[in-house]
Amino acid sequence: MSTRSRLIICVLVLGALHLGVACAGFFAPYDPATQDREHPYAPPMWLHFLDAHRGIHLRPFAYAQESQTGSFDEYEENRARVIPVRFFVSGAPYRVLGVLPLRLHLFGADVPVYLLGTDGYGRDLLSRILFGGQVSLLAGLIGAGLTLSIGLCIGAAAGFWGGWKDEVLMRVAELFLALPWIYLLFAMRAFLPLAVPPVKAFLLVVVVIGAVGWARPARMVRGIVLSAKERNFVRAARGFGATGGYLLRRHILPETANVVLTQAAVLVPQFVLAEMTLSFLGLGVPEPLPSWGNLLASLQHYNVLVSYWWMYLPALAMVPFFLGYLVLASLLQGSSRATKIEVASAGV
Amino acid sequence: MEPVIRVENLVKRYASRELGRRAAAFTAVDSVSFSILPGSTLALVGESGSGKSSVALCLACLEPVTSGQIWFDGRDVAALSERESRAVRPKLQIVFQDPATSLNPRWTVGEIVAEPLLVKGRVANRERRERAAQGLERVGLGAEYLERRPAELSGGQRQRVAIARALILEPKLLILDEVLSALDCSIQGQIANLLVELQRALGLAYLFITHDLRMAAHLADEIAVMSRGKIVEQGAVETILRGARCAETQNLLGASLVDRETEAVRER
Amino acid sequence: MMRFLLRRLGHAAFLLLGVSVLAFAFSTLAPGNYFDEMRLNPQISAERLSALRADYQVDRPMAVRYARWAVALLHGDLGFSFAYNTPVAPMLWTRARNTLLLTGTATVLVWMLALPLGVWSAEKRGRPADVALSWATAVLLIVPDLALALGLLVLAVRSGWLPTGGMVSVGFDGFSAGQKIRDLVLHLVLPVTVLVASALPVLLRHVRAAVAEALEASFLRAAEGHGISRRRLLYRYALPAAAHPLIALFGFSLGALLSGSLLAEVVMSWPGLGPFLLEGILARDLYVVIGGVLLSTLFLVAGNFAADLLLYWADPRIRAEAAER
Ligand SMILES: Nc1ncnc2c1ncn2[C@@H]1O[C@H](COP(=O)(O)OP(=O)(O)OP(=O)(O)O)[C@@H](O)[C@H]1O
Ligand SMILES: [Mg+2]
Repeated sequence: MSTRSRLIICVLVLGALHLGVACAGFFAPYDPATQDREHPYAPPMWLHFLDAHRGIHLRPFAYAQESQTGSFDEYEENRARVIPVRFFVSGAPYRVLGVLPLRLHLFGADVPVYLLGTDGYGRDLLSRILFGGQVSLLAGLIGAGLTLSIGLCIGAAAGFWGGWKDEVLMRVAELFLALPWIYLLFAMRAFLPLAVPPVKAFLLVVVVIGAVGWARPARMVRGIVLSAKERNFVRAARGFGATGGYLLRRHILPETANVVLTQAAVLVPQFVLAEMTLSFLGLGVPEPLPSWGNLLASLQHYNVLVSYWWMYLPALAMVPFFLGYLVLASLLQGSSRATKIEVASAGV
Repeated sequence: MEPVIRVENLVKRYASRELGRRAAAFTAVDSVSFSILPGSTLALVGESGSGKSSVALCLACLEPVTSGQIWFDGRDVAALSERESRAVRPKLQIVFQDPATSLNPRWTVGEIVAEPLLVKGRVANRERRERAAQGLERVGLGAEYLERRPAELSGGQRQRVAIARALILEPKLLILDEVLSALDCSIQGQIANLLVELQRALGLAYLFITHDLRMAAHLADEIAVMSRGKIVEQGAVETILRGARCAETQNLLGASLVDRETEAVRER
Repeated sequence: MMRFLLRRLGHAAFLLLGVSVLAFAFSTLAPGNYFDEMRLNPQISAERLSALRADYQVDRPMAVRYARWAVALLHGDLGFSFAYNTPVAPMLWTRARNTLLLTGTATVLVWMLALPLGVWSAEKRGRPADVALSWATAVLLIVPDLALALGLLVLAVRSGWLPTGGMVSVGFDGFSAGQKIRDLVLHLVLPVTVLVASALPVLLRHVRAAVAEALEASFLRAAEGHGISRRRLLYRYALPAAAHPLIALFGFSLGALLSGSLLAEVVMSWPGLGPFLLEGILARDLYVVIGGVLLSTLFLVAGNFAADLLLYWADPRIRAEAAER
């Protein structure tokens, strides 16, 4: 298979994954904030096709879980109560991409089914993981966009103008690289307000994540701009009166496209992880807004860690995305080893 | 007749800076003076590193001039700011040695040839395309090349595209910086003939830079020999060829004679 | 030699100075004044607050305050912790020592694994063994650090094989020297495993790439033709030829491990800089935060300086260049 067709397949798969998360409301059976106080820490329910009498059902079903008397988090499957799963049902209202209001869900049942279990408030973990993905991925995507825009602007400015401006900008970039980057992230976060409403906190986190990582892409872009501006076709364009803006737009910035794209593929998962880390530690997106990071925060309690294994599942939700981005980055990156080192180093 | 361009005491120094320390400036061009009449060709010859390209870049306003004057179009181009010089630049175009690097590999030939019009602005897409086709025709390439990319062209064809691009704004002076050096012998002849034809048809003046004295003699009305940043000898073609007084000129003459002899040997 | 050393030292000093200015400026310019918030803190009395205000001269211009702070810093005074009500420096030193122990161990281990594995897979490049190894590293690469740390913690808690928190067991002070070391090592296993597993894949790939490139170089091909043994070729010729990129990687690996250690420390409750910094942030303990950030920078800058020295020692080209100046 050629690199090009692999790239197309990779982008399609990644696109499908993101689309799935973007349409979280459709795939999630419940609203992520809806609590079911009857079922805290309910374990995942399995879907069955075979019933106890070896009868085959074409429609998958689950057995109802009933809490044991005298315990608040121990459940027993009631084999007598079969809950058939229905597809394309109407349920809790949601908005696709925050605009289009809908009630259609991929599946649902008359009695709540929790395919991945519930958390301490009886909220459906599957729904929370899907909606949490929206928050975490969006943070990663916007953060990467921000970082690359800053890096592109600063790198292009430094490379194109040169002289003392270049000198100053690159010294500042060195400062940003002199800190271990998680510490830098935390330091930035530390000096901003802590107790803020979820949406504002999300924006804060995105801005902090986006502002931290610009130095490496800026250095890479600067290198490319430096060599591109000495190309003869750029000189020729200056020769017929092109302005600096024209040269950057038409000749120089297109040269950086490959590096910027590769960097994007590297940075998005890194930044999703950054959001997860911040939220996990209580510095990021707060409840009740779910994010992959704050879904894991309850694991800091010893009893949750040892008793409810499904609470660990949000940590694995990132894996297919990581895989996709890893493949994408390695397909995008050029053959020269120098860029490889830079690309991979940026991944940590 | 009024010359197209008159260069007086042109000096170009490169300040090579290393890690903030200022090293001694390097004088690449040292008080060079010449002028070129409309429709005529001045050949600038000299060994590698003698400062020919530096002169070309200064004339084209692509490098700041250290001192001296460049009179063009009634103005001293050397004294203009970057912004002011943008108005002058279209009238004086430069073609580089290696056509592989002077054409943006991402663009199509049509876009490349019409780029000066794009820069100038206020030219409709349709008209740009038409003028690109005309421009290509002028250098002997058909309209079928419009959609190709530089990588799909031969070296000679690329140089033709570069010349077509330089001509599209109808300049008065064309600076040709070793435009033939990267080409095969037979192609060199073709492009040289094309240049002669274009000069005749459009009344262009050329500054023809080369280190091949023979080609200079073929194309030029006048020759200036450069060595270590200075013009050491200047005059009509015949005078230079017959009575070369400077050692440098004789060296160059010898080099092209040797070239001819090795060629002759190869042909045998 | 002296000049090269001085230049690199100067650069390191510039970085530390710059980061301190940056941290200080950011802390003062950020919205929400610490002293305002402190008024709401019942642990701090009004007299204490006004004494602190006077001490830190919050009403003076920023440059003055920075200068005072920097001078104090040079005397080893990192400011005052409002939450603990004591000077920051002593607390910070023990925390920093613990972080250093953790990242140091992880650095040594990860290089001890990455070098031989990288050389081995570079030698066998393209063959099944190399492909298998690269798949294994890819698996490690796509599992997020957080998932890895939590997963190992669950495993340790469930199995009970390893201690799962802190740096030492209860009653550590009463242990004999041997027991102490054993106890410390057992506590190190979990966080070090997380760090090594998160840093190894990237490092391994770099080492493999660097050695593979050196092996492709023509002089090594020639040496191979002369019948020099495979082992000797790899370790005596290819590895030194790849020294330059490898040493440059050292600083980078240190940065990665320091970053990784923050999370590992918090998850495994290792009493290092990470949890301390986090506490400081949550308690809005200004000087704890600045001190933690500065120390982490110091570690990274010092590590890079060490790498520079190594490079100087290993690469004749740099030595020649330095001698010229
Ligand atoms: N940007 C620059 N900075 C510093 N020195 C330069 C720069 N450009 C050229 N030089 C120096 O100026 C001298 C003249 O260079 P120039 O390119 O003008 O020579 P040339 O005659 O065109 O040579 P060639 O025939 O090889 O093209 C050379 O010694 C070169 O090293
Ligand atoms: Mg030249």
